[in-house]
Amino acid sequence: MKTYYFFFSNFTFMTEGFLLGLSTGVVCVAYCGPVLLPYLMAESRGLKRSYTMVAVFLAGRLTAYLVTALLAGLIGQSIVQQSDTRITLMGIVYMMLSALLIIYGFNHFKEICLGKNFAETNYAGNKKFPYLMPYSGGFLTGINICPPFLLAITGAIDSGSVTGSILFFFFFFLGTSIFFIPMPFAGMFKRQHVLRIIGKFAALIAGFLYFYKGLVLLIS
Amino acid sequence: MKQQKTFSTTGSIGKSFLWLLPMTLLIVLFTTGGKFSFDDKVSLVAFLISFIFFNWLFFMILYKGRTDRYRAAGFIILALFFALTFIVNLIQSRGSMTFSNETLLACEIPFCHIVTTMVILPLIFTGSIIFPGQITGGFAPIAGMLVIVLGVMLALGRGFCSWGCFYGGWDDATSRILKKPVIKKVNPAFRWAAFAVLIIVVIMSAISLGPTYCDWLCPFKAVTEFEKVTSTIILMKTIVFVSLFASLVIILPVLTKKRIQCTTFCPMGALCSLSNKINVFDVRIDREKCSSCMKCTTVCPTLSLEKSDVEKGRPAMTCMKCGKCIDSCTKNAINYHIKGTPVGKNLTAARMLFIFPAFTLLVIFTAGTMQQGIILLVKLFTTGSLF
Repeated sequence: MKTYYFFFSNFTFMTEGFLLGLSTGVVCVAYCGPVLLPYLMAESRGLKRSYTMVAVFLAGRLTAYLVTALLAGLIGQSIVQQSDTRITLMGIVYMMLSALLIIYGFNHFKEICLGKNFAETNYAGNKKFPYLMPYSGGFLTGINICPPFLLAITGAIDSGSVTGSILFFFFFFLGTSIFFIPMPFAGMFKRQHVLRIIGKFAALIAGFLYFYKGLVLLIS
Repeated sequence: MKQQKTFSTTGSIGKSFLWLLPMTLLIVLFTTGGKFSFDDKVSLVAFLISFIFFNWLFFMILYKGRTDRYRAAGFIILALFFALTFIVNLIQSRGSMTFSNETLLACEIPFCHIVTTMVILPLIFTGSIIFPGQITGGFAPIAGMLVIVLGVMLALGRGFCSWGCFYGGWDDATSRILKKPVIKKVNPAFRWAAFAVLIIVVIMSAISLGPTYCDWLCPFKAVTEFEKVTSTIILMKTIVFVSLFASLVIILPVLTKKRIQCTTFCPMGALCSLSNKINVFDVRIDREKCSSCMKCTTVCPTLSLEKSDVEKGRPAMTCMKCGKCIDSCTKNAINYHIKGTPVGKNLTAARMLFIFPAFTLLVIFTAGTMQQGIILLVKLFTTGSLF
């Protein structure tokens, strides 16, 4: 009974996090994935090994997300929830971040991915600690300050509790991770430019939808 | 060569009439519905006009050897008359173009083909249809529409968007208003935008278990039905529908001479593009004949032909098979093609094999709507009212 109660009381955070992850996951893979892919493929031996590397990389991302979720949850619980103007504040934040996502979709920006340099790194420690690089790469990609990540932080703060925040980020992670599953099949990136274009448009549409969400919050 | 001559009807009245005959039989079937009884003189007149119209269109397609202009005439009529008859039917049955919560609860919303993109995943996951319509019976039932849409996608691929969609004629019409585009160059990357819309609406519909595109984004709500404005949120939705219709279906197609809504914003279009991969018909460019004048890239209304595509000898997977590039090519280098056959061979046979099912589809979708539209217009001119 308690499990059911827990599930249904947090259902909104889970679905919202998952949805945000799915709608922006294409952007994550399209921009950071190809940078990381050469390393993952070069280090791996066969499909099984590739998947292990991707799994370790995702574990790094999850760690980053959970740390961020904890901080966002604490902020949400202590500051935002106690403010009288919480809804207005969140509405404005949503609108600002979605505007950022729209600009991100429109502009021909150079991708800012914290994990990008790690693909080029080739140091002796690689052999001693084979999982260190994919793990730290995943962590750095996880805390990459991009609009989807900022939107996820806003959503997590909006949940108003540490539990809600962690669930939000965990499901955001699951949503984005789906797009990493085919990564070991390098053939997927034959049409990488098309994937990037679609990712940008998806970011634009997600931006408009979140802008709308902010507007609804402000009006209501 | 002999086969070329057998199928070639261009410039020959006799051959065009002979090839028209089987289509005439189909036109009779779909314009009468198999019944040769008419309620009144107006119905008979409506039948005669539509019968002559479709025969003339198909005859011209054969005789002139051109496709797009005549296809567009039927296709635009389908869109305009569909909107007219749909709105009049709604007002007659409900009293307005709006629907209320009661209509939703009674599951009386007609199922539109665009919703297909949003119902499949929830159907697989939950075993239920996330649309407030009727499974069978009534106007545009879900089961019937799904079978038709999936069948047409298999038969024609994205040809559906130029030969059968009852919305596509809107921006097909507006994109033809100006002789020359005001915005001359549209970034070809926009041809992939519909795939992003597809991804977002499929995911959001699966998670929210509601048809997201219909709820928030469909421009065609402006010319069909929309939620009764009872709150600020519904008012905002209505503003979004009208703004999208004005910008994507009217203003931008007029300025660019491209079918902007179909190309950049229709999730169904993206799904049909994927079905182009498994469909037997495509459009191919004979590189030996091609002079690389790039006229086809200028006229393509869906941004499916760019220089790189011409060099590859085929349009992108987003091609709607409207025939505009084929008609514009002065070297006859572009043609309908059947996958697996050599490019540049059996051109007229391939064209005939595509034109017959495609035009039949146009007749099936348009015949009834056109007759109903004519009856309504006659009523308007004689009584001064549509109702």
